[in-house]
Amino acid sequence: MKIGFLHSLIRKDEKLLIDEFNSRKDIELVMIDDRNISFNLGKDKFNLDVIIERCINHSRALHAMKLYESAGVKCVNSFHVASICGDKLLTSSALADNKVPQPEVRVAFTEESAIKTIEEMGYPVVLKPAVGSWGRLLSKINDRDAAESILEHKTVLGSYHHSIFYMQKYVEKKGRDIRSFVVGDTCIAAIYRTSPHWITNTARGGVATKCEVTEEIASLSVAASKAVGGGIVAIDLFETADGLQVNEVNYTMEFKNSITTTGVNIPKHVVDYVIKAGRGEA
Amino acid sequence: MAECPVCGAEITMAPGTVVGELIECPECGVELEVASVNPFKVNEAPQEEEDWGE
Repeated sequence: MKIGFLHSLIRKDEKLLIDEFNSRKDIELVMIDDRNISFNLGKDKFNLDVIIERCINHSRALHAMKLYESAGVKCVNSFHVASICGDKLLTSSALADNKVPQPEVRVAFTEESAIKTIEEMGYPVVLKPAVGSWGRLLSKINDRDAAESILEHKTVLGSYHHSIFYMQKYVEKKGRDIRSFVVGDTCIAAIYRTSPHWITNTARGGVATKCEVTEEIASLSVAASKAVGGGIVAIDLFETADGLQVNEVNYTMEFKNSITTTGVNIPKHVVDYVIKAGRGEA
Repeated sequence: MAECPVCGAEITMAPGTVVGELIECPECGVELEVASVNPFKVNEAPQEEEDWGE
C-alpha cells in the first residue's frame, strides 16, 4: 500500500507516526512536503492509496486535501472534517445540529450587535477567532469596558475574519479540562489538561495527566466526532454541573504529551485507521 | 555534523533523523529544521504563523 504523508515541519508527533508506519510490512510511505507541492487542477493523477494529513498550517491542509480528494485520493482526515473543525463557528453549528452538548455560543457580525449579545449573555464571555488554534487570541471578557475595547481593537486592527464575532459563555472549569482522542468509532484515550491560567492548552503550558475514559467521555467524544464527519480527532471537553460539554474538535491532533500519560499507543491506533482507510474499510 | 546558524555550535545528527524534522540546538536552545540528512544541514526553524496548530 502507498500512503502519502502530507506534512511541513516534522514535529515529535509526526516522527512517532513515521516510525509507526515504517514498522509495518508492505507499506510504502511517500513524504509530501506542503512547501514543495503544486497542483494542476483537473489533470493531476496521484499513485497513492490514501493520504494522512499532518500539516502545521490549517490553510494548506484544507486546500491541499480538497485538491487531493478532487484527484481521487482518499484523505485522513477528509476535507469535509478539516473544513468543519478548522472553523469554530462551523464546528459549533455541527454540534448544535447533532444535539451534542456545548457551552452557549452566540455569533454576531458588527461591534454593536456583538456588545448587545454579550450583555444579554452576561459576563464573563470568551471571544474567539472563528479560525485559530493553540489558544491564540482568545479573550475572556469580564465587563463592558473590556468588551468595548476588545471589539474595537478587533474591528480596527484585525483582518476581515476577526469581524465574525464568535462568543462563548465562559465555563468555570476549576483549572482543568479534558482532551479525548477519537479514532473511528472509539475513544481511545483521554487526558486532563491542568493550568492555573483559564487557557489550558498544552501548547500554552497546560500539564497533561491521565483521565480515565468513562462511558460519558466516550459516548460524548464519539458523538462529537460523528457530528463533524468522523475520522481521527481530539475533543476538548468541559466538566460542568450539567455534565460534560464539548468545547472544540481538533482534526490534526497533537498527542506527543499523551502517550506516556495515558499508556495508550496513540500512533498505533492512528496508523491502523489510516491503513484501514487505504483498504477502503474506514 | 552541522553548524547551528544562530550560535555556531556543532550539532550531531541522531540516528533516524528525517528531512523537515525539528530539533533543538543543544547549546543555545534555538529550534532548528533539518534541511538535509546527507550532508547533514540545518536551518533556523520557521516562525509560528497565524494558522499554525491543531
